[in-house]
Amino acid sequence: MYLALKEMRRARVRFGLLAGAVGLLVYLILFQQAISTGLIDQFIGALKNQSADVLVYNAQARRNLEGSIVLPEQSAAIAEVEGVAVAAPLGEGTFTVVAGDPDADEQDAVIFGYQLGGPGEPTTLTAGRLPERTGEAVASSRNAADGFDVGDTVTVVPNAGGTATSFTVVGLAEEINYSVAPTLFTDFVGYDAARRAVNPDATDVLPSVVAVHVAEGADPAEVAEAITAAVDGTEALTRQQAVDESPGVSAVRQSFSVILLLFYLVAPLVTGLFFLIVTFQKAGALTLLRAIGAPAGLLVRSLVVQVAAVVVSGAAVAVGLFWLTTRTVIGSISVPFDLGAIGFTVGLVLVLALVTSLAAIRRVLRIEPIAATTGAGVHL
Amino acid sequence: MTTPPADTVADTAPAAGPAALELADVRKVYGAGDTEIVAVDHATLRVGDGEIVALLGPSGSGKTTLLSIAGGLLSATQGRVVVGGEDITGHSAAELTDFRRSKVGFVFQSVNLVPFLTAEENLLVVSELSGARGGARKQAKARAKELLGELGLAHRAGNLPAQLSGGERQRVAIGRALFNGPALVLFDEPTSALDTKIGEQVMELIQAEMRSRHTAAVIVTHDTRMTHYADRTVRIVDGVLGAEPVEGDLAAH
Repeated sequence: MYLALKEMRRARVRFGLLAGAVGLLVYLILFQQAISTGLIDQFIGALKNQSADVLVYNAQARRNLEGSIVLPEQSAAIAEVEGVAVAAPLGEGTFTVVAGDPDADEQDAVIFGYQLGGPGEPTTLTAGRLPERTGEAVASSRNAADGFDVGDTVTVVPNAGGTATSFTVVGLAEEINYSVAPTLFTDFVGYDAARRAVNPDATDVLPSVVAVHVAEGADPAEVAEAITAAVDGTEALTRQQAVDESPGVSAVRQSFSVILLLFYLVAPLVTGLFFLIVTFQKAGALTLLRAIGAPAGLLVRSLVVQVAAVVVSGAAVAVGLFWLTTRTVIGSISVPFDLGAIGFTVGLVLVLALVTSLAAIRRVLRIEPIAATTGAGVHL
Repeated sequence: MTTPPADTVADTAPAAGPAALELADVRKVYGAGDTEIVAVDHATLRVGDGEIVALLGPSGSGKTTLLSIAGGLLSATQGRVVVGGEDITGHSAAELTDFRRSKVGFVFQSVNLVPFLTAEENLLVVSELSGARGGARKQAKARAKELLGELGLAHRAGNLPAQLSGGERQRVAIGRALFNGPALVLFDEPTSALDTKIGEQVMELIQAEMRSRHTAAVIVTHDTRMTHYADRTVRIVDGVLGAEPVEGDLAAH
């Protein structure tokens, strides 16, 4: 510890620059991870943060909510499957709306219609309350300033022959956007009215999926499998599966994973290479220390202390920068400050940095004290 | 095993009394068979407490190898090594590390100081390596200041090695070698990187410090001008310890 700290104190600029470089790389990792999470939440937050344990799609829709319609006989059959406690319709559609000020520009919004009190209601309410009657809705909190705040009225612009239908926003919920659009959760009757406003000739408005609460003690994955097996033409997914397997989500995740993998490799490699170079540079001093009785283990511990100090200092810089970033919204994406993800990232970078420093540790262990008599230092 | 020449033993053994260093029939061999190189051949040497011995020899004569064996930097292939009463002949690498930390002092030819530690810290590192804490650390600090004062370096205590002259660096190295109160200090060409005047000053300092502490020293050198600072000079040629050389004997080398 003595040697490690003294050296860092005397070479503040060198170690500071490395800590800064590691900090920027860790910041980029945190930022990329948050952007990935934020982006995905913008796409499928509505699925992630609703209460249904299982969502049952039309099998032909290939897990695409927009392309899914569940027929009445299928809905009835789903309710009969063992393990299903409640099965209720959940509709989804994209509509042109005027939000807030009646003179405001038209914009697109996604409306989810669920059975009040049943599966499919939003779970991340942050203001107001859930809808209690037809004509009330919970809106995505991110879009509150765009005419979707509590008390605002959102009107679905009807097509020719249709009747305009309006919703009063009574609550706001976090991360319930769908397809990066403002999103409303209302009752299925209101959703039905919105559908009829844009398609006056519709005879029946069918749910996009059936939302299911499983019976107490039942495993959602097993119930989903049972539904898929029992009801022809359906594919049931747990909430997490519905999120993960939504079209586009896995592609986005994969793209970000490649970028993150590169960062996870680069940050520790930079650290490991730095310490390898430093070990070569101070080979003479290390040899002298070994010659005058420093155990190899002590020199290795000094190295490990320095690696940890650099990564932790860099991580502190990164977390500070990241915290500042989370105070702002980048485009339409908010960057969450997730302590769990930060801890995992810093821990992983530290472990990987120690692994990549093994080369430097190996060099230290190979120092022969006798080399002090020749000034040869470390054998390469 | 061959028997060493009788005169080698006779000339390298001082009067009886407590010994700081005893080398008995020490051999150091590198390689084997046709590639075998004998670096030290049946060396027997006894250095009494407080005695200063100059080990004189040309390059490649085995003097540094012998010094390294005496200091536990190398293990002998054969023979017995006792330093300050501790027989280090069969010591493991870890035991030799402990031995070097606590029983001997070193002053090397080239790299002698840790560049990122100040003069005072270069002395304190000895106690830090021994795990000094609390009161022991305070005592070590006081001792470092005292030693630097004795070496005329009190005003340089906070300077890094790069800020010191060659002579000052060697004086700090001497301070570090004496810091743990060793029975024996080993000097490997301590003046080779210094000009004659500074070299002589350093040798005077070594002599004075060893005398005042009654500490034994072995000084490896190839410079006959420095041997008069020693109580006794032992010659080594081709790994064999021999008689004290006459003045200018090594000029031929």
